[in-house]
Amino acid sequence: MYCKMNFGIIFVLLIVLGAGSIMIGVILANVMTGTGERLGLGWFLHTSNPFMWAGLGIGLACSLSVVGAAMGIYMTGTSICGGGVRSPRIKTKNLITIIFCEAVAIYGLITAILLSGCVKNFYTVRMISDQRVISNNMFTAYVVFGAGLTVGLVNIACGIAVGIVGSGAALADAANSALFVKILIVEIFGSAIGLFGLIVSIYMTSKAEMIL
Amino acid sequence: MRDTAESLSRLDRNPPYAPFYGAMGVVASSVLTSIGAAYGTAVAGSGIASTAVMRPELVMKSIIPVVMAGIIAIYGLVVSVLISGELDSSLKYSVRKGYVHLFAGVSVGVSGLAAGYAVGEVGDMGVRHMALQPRLFIGMILVLIFAEVLGLYGLIIGIYLYTVDVK
Repeated sequence: MYCKMNFGIIFVLLIVLGAGSIMIGVILANVMTGTGERLGLGWFLHTSNPFMWAGLGIGLACSLSVVGAAMGIYMTGTSICGGGVRSPRIKTKNLITIIFCEAVAIYGLITAILLSGCVKNFYTVRMISDQRVISNNMFTAYVVFGAGLTVGLVNIACGIAVGIVGSGAALADAANSALFVKILIVEIFGSAIGLFGLIVSIYMTSKAEMIL
Repeated sequence: MRDTAESLSRLDRNPPYAPFYGAMGVVASSVLTSIGAAYGTAVAGSGIASTAVMRPELVMKSIIPVVMAGIIAIYGLVVSVLISGELDSSLKYSVRKGYVHLFAGVSVGVSGLAAGYAVGEVGDMGVRHMALQPRLFIGMILVLIFAEVLGLYGLIIGIYLYTVDVK
């Protein structure tokens, strides 16, 4: 497992270094050519399109949840296949764990559909002149981004947790078939973590709606 | 003309991007505590699965570390819901409130991440060694309580920052 973790860490490091060097390049290019006061998080937030944030939120809600579910399913599935060599009876009961992981992906799907209901078209003319339209649409965009990021990242954590516990449950079930139900209780606690993320993101977007 | 001048003069306290910081506070508190809780659940759960094969009668007592990891996720949920209730468009939500809410979320988030890590590791080792020596149960519970209280400290500061009067 440590070799595989090394590949993952190298991949993550490459992405972080790449993003970091692009940012340093942009910052230096602006500072060294006398336009340094352009740079600022406030400037970036103010001039970026609200639809970018909303789209990112909706996309990340669905995709990161599916990543979490997939990681859970592969961890459990490989253990079921391995443990099922000597005890083939475990294969149908342990599908419950796979269903728990699938539910994590469905949370993300539901949230993405609900978040895309917040996004509506707005008149650009009002967006740059009317203070009420500007602040309301930007609030909606940031909250949709935050909600999507919340549900996506929480579902990654939840999917991995359910996968690891499910893998242990499959192997314990292979040894002693009375143990599966007891370890299922631990899986239910893991699944509740994903539900908390869903609750937070739905509550956060309850006030969010783009106005024309 | 007059209300344009008034609204422009408030732009440094109520810029239109002020809710971004509040939203990031909600993200920090719920995501980081959930990662801590998921780590605790996964690591303690794999310890329980190993113990259960040797001593099936101890499984019910061994679920306590998993419950405590779940409580850490609830700490993050509490702060997230509190901050989300205050989130609004920038006409009513100043950037000062945004910063305060951001760091309320970060405080409970990072504390919950660390507490979840501790609960997971203690739970894993405690459960595995409790199978060999059942009298270790009380000791494991005491250590788990101290680890859980670390998450509580983060929750206290998060709630206190939420109640700070900033307009």
